[in-house]
Formats: sequence, structure tokens, C-alpha cells
Amino acid sequence: MNQIRQSKRGLLGVTIIVFFVVVGIFAPLIAPYDPGTPYRDPGQYPGYGVNGPKIAEKLCYPSWYKILPWVYKGSIEKTESFRNTVINVGSQIFSNATDLLVDDRIAKPLKVTVLFPNESARDLVLGKEWTWDPVRLRLIKLDWRTAQRLPNGTRVEVNYLTGADMTDTMELVTDYKFSSNETFYSVWETQTSQPELVNVKYNSQGGFKNDGSVEIKYLGSNYISDGEVNATLLLPFKYSYWTPPMSFDTHFSVRVEASAATNVTITLWLRNEVLEKSFLTATYHVASQGEYISYVGVSSSNETMTNVGSYPERIIFPMPANMSFALSVNFPDKKSDVTVYIDNLQCILFGNSFGLLGTDNGSPYPPRDIFSTLVYGTRVSLAVGILAAVFSTVIGLFLGLTAGYVGGAVDETTMRFADLLMVLPTLPLFIVLIAVMKSTYGLVSMWNIIILLTFFGWMGFSRSVRSMVLSIRERPFIEAAKAAGGGKFYIITKHMIPNVFPLVYITLATAVPGAIITEASLSWLGLGDPSIPSWGKVLYDFNVSGIAVTKGLTEYWFWIFPPCIAIALLATAFILLGFALDEILNPRLRERR
Amino acid sequence: MGLRGYLAKRLVYSIILVLAVITVNFLIFSMLPGDPMQQFVSSLRGRTTEERYEQLRHHFGFDRPLHERYLTSLVDMLTFNFGRDIISGDPVFNTMTGPLLNTLLLMGTAETICMIVGILVGVIAAYKRGGVLDTTLTTGSLVTYSVPIFFVGWIVILFFGVQLHWFPSGGTSPIEWARNPPTNILEVMAGRLTYIVLPALTLFLFVVGGWILLTRACVLETISEDYVLTARAKGLPERTILYKHILKNASLPLITNVALAFASLISGAIITETLFSYNGMGLLTWHAIYPVPNLPLLQAIFYISALLVIIGNFIADLLYGVLDPRVRYG
Repeated sequence: MNQIRQSKRGLLGVTIIVFFVVVGIFAPLIAPYDPGTPYRDPGQYPGYGVNGPKIAEKLCYPSWYKILPWVYKGSIEKTESFRNTVINVGSQIFSNATDLLVDDRIAKPLKVTVLFPNESARDLVLGKEWTWDPVRLRLIKLDWRTAQRLPNGTRVEVNYLTGADMTDTMELVTDYKFSSNETFYSVWETQTSQPELVNVKYNSQGGFKNDGSVEIKYLGSNYISDGEVNATLLLPFKYSYWTPPMSFDTHFSVRVEASAATNVTITLWLRNEVLEKSFLTATYHVASQGEYISYVGVSSSNETMTNVGSYPERIIFPMPANMSFALSVNFPDKKSDVTVYIDNLQCILFGNSFGLLGTDNGSPYPPRDIFSTLVYGTRVSLAVGILAAVFSTVIGLFLGLTAGYVGGAVDETTMRFADLLMVLPTLPLFIVLIAVMKSTYGLVSMWNIIILLTFFGWMGFSRSVRSMVLSIRERPFIEAAKAAGGGKFYIITKHMIPNVFPLVYITLATAVPGAIITEASLSWLGLGDPSIPSWGKVLYDFNVSGIAVTKGLTEYWFWIFPPCIAIALLATAFILLGFALDEILNPRLRERR
Repeated sequence: MGLRGYLAKRLVYSIILVLAVITVNFLIFSMLPGDPMQQFVSSLRGRTTEERYEQLRHHFGFDRPLHERYLTSLVDMLTFNFGRDIISGDPVFNTMTGPLLNTLLLMGTAETICMIVGILVGVIAAYKRGGVLDTTLTTGSLVTYSVPIFFVGWIVILFFGVQLHWFPSGGTSPIEWARNPPTNILEVMAGRLTYIVLPALTLFLFVVGGWILLTRACVLETISEDYVLTARAKGLPERTILYKHILKNASLPLITNVALAFASLISGAIITETLFSYNGMGLLTWHAIYPVPNLPLLQAIFYISALLVIIGNFIADLLYGVLDPRVRYG
């Protein structure tokens, strides 16, 4: 073992192997998420079900992409030209919609110029006669009575500020559990319409898990006041990116207690101060009952978000702005006492960057963190490689020893069987066998792959062992042992095996990379175990996602390169170790040094 | 025993191996649980009429007893009658000829260049053992040997295909040829050649490392033998020593490897051909497995691959017997 340290290559190999083994053993500590269940905070967001929300959107870039110089960041002023813009004439809308939606991020135009085909250009004064509807991207004449159709060939030029950014994935509220009085009041603003009737306070009991909630108490009165009775929890935050998030989720849990059967209306909304608009995310009517109900208000798929088009996040977050996230409780029934408990209030903005290596396509939804998958994949690759190599070496050793020492018919049959297996094409055979296994049993497990690799991996080694046994068998000390009365088993174990062992070390060290690469190739073809994270499977997901066609290989290079480099490093490390062992243990090479 | 006896023994052995391969082939494809063919036919059960189903079963011979099917399969394989393709109905032989030629073209080119370059470089590396060139070459070979082949392929595609746009990154021949193939043979060759470059380069990079290491190890083994020292002492020029003494004696494992390399031509290219969508035997095998297993085609591919390996082994034994007298009399 000391001799390995002398050889530089051996040392390098051993270092790399030890590194990967450590990563594999401590994988749950190193990887921030478990790739099998890529959810954040399971149990804290009951509206999503058992698991909680996904950790990020699919196909995210790594968090450190921001610092790369060629990634565009910041704002620019753009001029966009639209033909045949729509005039809103009362209820009639004339439109040529396909020309319009060039850029959905024109939230706040700086200047709008109308170019008529026959007259000269006229700057429209926004707000006086015309206004710009950012939702439907069209000019609207304020006074519909004087509206008219723009002549054919009219062009509208809009100057607006836009930009691009790598947006982070962020949870707006960290104290979603409402865990203490101080944190609640420091983060949230509360407003009530009738302070004397409606009381909002923090309650340390009564949360979804009895760990704190917000209590909104309405004392019913027979004096029916005009106007609405409501209470609002408001969270101001700053959205500081020039790109909208890819999606956003809102969530809350609510429990309503009342003396009589009644219900309350809860509204979630986001307000953009720059646009001076509030956008409803969801409205819920909650009946009074003893249990907590949890709701998820999702961005694009929520039908209650009307009038914001199919990409609401682009309308709500078009540019850096001060924003607020709010939950309003409205009490329609003004007569009864109602107590509303709110918990697990959260708004999550999913940006386009996340994690150390981004996220994948999420083909079994939801998207996984690539870095975590890589870390957990170390275990799989190491396990499969080492186990397959060890098993096949042991079998090869056993069969080679028996064939070589016993000789005769046993020798012939074993070697012919080995020849037969060596003649069959391995990769097509693997593919066929695995395809058959999949169709009968439904899935292929890691152990199936290990067994396959073992079954087709022992032949070469058994041949080497056999030839070595044949050459040792004729040596005098074996004859002496036989004369001393040693049986077959004794001679094999005490004399043959120690002489063969250098070969075992070397074969082990060179069989492992073969097994690792074969397993990676099988997973890359999609034939591996789909339930375990493996480096080859990461590449298979990449293939399946179609990114290579739609965006090209270079766009998501951080997805492909780390697994490939990891496979190459691990295999190279074992080969270096094998070479070092070969130099140490092979006597002929040693002489020449 | 002499050369003839040795060869006769190896020939008989090879024939037995061929029969064994046919048996194994039959076992795998007819007797595995979840036989793909049975599944395919039985999946039609709900979709076609009962008599059609029986017709298919009779056509593929599932209703005959096992030993009869085995004998039929034996005779078929030996006479290269592979039956008809399930999907297209063409005889399997016709389906296979095109891809077979493509693969031979691709792998042959790659392996030949690999061998020439690998042996030359390996000899140089062994000669200048311990120097900078040797260490870089050895380390480089180790790295390319252990990098998974699809990674090499991706990098090659990325670099040459996408960035430089020198060569197409997939396919076998230009798309326009499907409708009006050119008649000029030179044009055909030139067009096909551009599609071979990238896959061949990938295969070359992947395999050359092994050749360099093998050549280097073999040459190092012989270079320390006594007769080399004698030759040097005799004053022979270095080049004569290199070629006549060292290479000739060191090349035994190399030549057997040459024969074996050509033998594993077909199976070795599956990943490369899938990556580059190159219409060769590897891609054919892949298409024969997903989505519907095409049993006669698969059997034929297996058989041909194994046959090539056996023939390659036999040729290797032949060369070994001719070149190394120790074998004939051992």
C-alpha cells in the first residue's frame, strides 16, 4: 500500500476515488434536495397535498449565471412598432391580433407615436385622448364616442423600457408559519376597515400545526354599517428584476369559526406600485367550520385570474417595482361573530435561475435540482460499478481456479461456456434482455443491471486466472504440497490464491470503470432503473427533453458536462489505480524500473 | 501437431461455437418469459379478428412444438434465410444489407485509421519511455479510454458540427438524395463521406487510446529482451531493430486484436450510431427493439454479429498459428 503512494498516478487515482466515495456517503448532507422528492418544505403547504410546492421551475439556469459577463442584465429602451392597432370603440373591437403581441412586457410606455399613412406623425398624449392597455397591448380611446377606426397602414410606435435579468426563485415570506409576535408585526402590515369591530392579531396557538396563526376577529353588530367590513394583511416587497418570473404560486390555510353558519370571502392579490394596478390572484368563499382548509392560488392556470391573459406573471411583474402581496378577508354577513384564523400564508416567485446547476425538464414532474441528482447519483454509480466488478471478479476467480486446477471435463466445459458468452454481442444483448425484463416486470431495478453486468463480465478474468493456475500447477512447491498430503481445497486456498491475488487487485481496478461506463451507457439509452438517480439518467433526461434540438447543446451545457466529467473522472481514477497496481505487482515491469 | 492439425482443431471448434450460438439465439428469442414476438402478436388479439390472430400465430409458427421450431431455426440460420421482417414485410436479408454496408464503411474506416495511428504512436511512446511525450500520450489515452463515448460524441458534434459547421451532425446521406439520388459515383462517395467524418472521428478518439496503450505495453515487453540488446551490440541500425526484431515479436497480441476488432464491428457502434442517427447496424438494432421488438431482424443481427466474432477469432487463431510457432506445438 505504501508503494501506491510513491506512484504519482496511483495517488491521484486514489484521491479521486476517495473524494467520490465521501460525496456518495454524505450525499444527504451535501445535496440540498432529495432528487426523489423535489419539493420544498413538505407539510408546511398543505394546499399542495402531501408534498408541498415544487422547488423551482423547469429548465432553470444555475444561480451563478448572473455573474457571467455575457448574460445580459439591465434595462434598455426599446422602440416597437405595431401595425393596425386596435381602437376600442365601445363594445366593438377591431383587431389584427397577430401583429400586436410582439413583446408582452410593455407595461409602461414612455412615449407612443402614431404614424398615419397620409399625414405626418402625431405624438399621442397618453391619458388625454388615448390610453395604452398593457394587458391587451392596444390603444384605447378614452372617450368612446369620439373613437374611430384608424386607417389602414397606420403604425403605432411605442417607446418603452424593458430589459433582461436572471431572476431568482424566492419565497416572499420566510415567516409563513407566523411563529412569533415580533416577526409577524415586523413583516406584515395590517389594515382593517372598522378598527373597532375587526381585530387582527397574532395568536400563538391555533395554527395549522398549532404553531401560531393570525387571528382576525369580527364582532358582529346589529348596527349594519355602510360599506364593506374587511381586514387585510399586507406584505410590501421589492421586485428588482427586469424579467418577470416564470411563474408564481400563492398559498394560504384558513379556518373560520362562527356562532352561526356563515361564510367569509378571502381574496389574494398582488399590487404593482409602478403600474399602480392591483391584480387579483384568487378569491375564495370559505364557510365556517372547525377544520383548516388550504388553498393554492396558482398563476397561469388559475381561472379566477381573469383579464390578465395567459401569462399573468408578465403583466404583473414586467419591471423592477415596489410591490405588495396581500390577503383580504371580507365579512359579508355583518351580524354574526366570526373568527378567522389564517396560516401558511406564502407567495413563491419561481425565477429562471436556481441552485448550483439549475434544474432539469421535470419529465416526471416536478423539476429536479441537477446538483442534488448528481450527488445522489454518485452512490448509484459507485455501487453498481464496484458491486458488478467485485461479483464478476469473484465468480471469475472461482471458475478459473476450478477449471485450471481440476482440469479435464470441468475445464473444457467452463472455457467453452466462457467462449460462447464472449462471442455474443454484449450491448445488443443487454438491450434486448432489459427490454424484455421491462415488458414482463414493468421496471428494471439496479440489481438486475448488476446481475447482467456480472453475468457477462467474468469471462476474461477466469481465462487469466486459469492460465496462471496452469503455470503454477507444475511448479515444484505444489508437488511438495501434494506429497505432504494437501488436498485440492487446501492447495487452492493456501497456494494458488495468494499467487493469483495480484491479478485480482488489478482486474478489480480495471473492471470497475468498465462497469461504470456500461451502466452509464445503459442509463443514457434509457434502459436503467428509472427510480434511482444515476449520472447516465441525467443525460437521458437531457436527451428526452429535446433541448438539444430546440435550444442547442451549448445552452444547457451545465446539464451535460458535470455528469460526463464525473463519469470520466471516476473511471480514469480507477484506471490510474489499476495502472499503479499493475506497475507495483507485476514483477516483470518492476525489474525495468 | 503442426499447423494443419491446429487449424483443423480450431475450425471444428468454431463450427461447434456457431451451432451453440444459434441455439442460444433461439433460446433467447423464443423462450424468454415475455417473448417480444408473442407479446406483439398477442397485443393484436383485441384488435384483429380471431381468425387473423390464428393466421398470424400459424405464420410465425407459434403453434408448432418446440423442437420443430428449433430445427427449422437451425436450418434457416445456416442457410442465411432469416425470414421476413414483421414491420415492413421485406425479407430481413434485404433490410440488413444497406445498414450492414454502412456500418462496415464507418467502422472499417475508423478502425483502420485507429490501428495505423495507434500502433505508430504507441511505438513512439514506448521508444521514448519516461519522457514528456510518453506521459502525455499515456495519460491522454487513459482519459479518452475512460470518457464515456456519448460524451466524446457530444463534444465532437458541438465543436465540429455546431460551431464550425464543417460537417453534418447526423444522418447518413443528404436529405435531397431521397428523391433524386445522384448517379455519379464520385458524387455519391463524396456526399457520403461528409456524413461519416464525425461518427468516425468519435469512434477513433474513443478507441485509439486502447490501441496506443496496448502497443506501448507490447513493445515495452519486447524491448527489454536480450536479443534486442544483441542486435544493438551487433551494430544494426535502429530502424532495422525496430521493425525486424521488436515489432515482429511484439505484434502478436496486436494482430490478434486487429482480427478481434474487426469482429466486433457491428456491436461496437450502437451508441455512436444512435447518437449520430447514422443508418447502420447499431441503429437498426436499436430500432428493432423499440418500440416494437422486431424479432426476425433481431435474431438475424445477433447471429451475424456472433458469426463475425467467431470468424474474427478464427482468423486471429490462424494468424497466431502462422506467426507464433510455439502455439502449433503446444
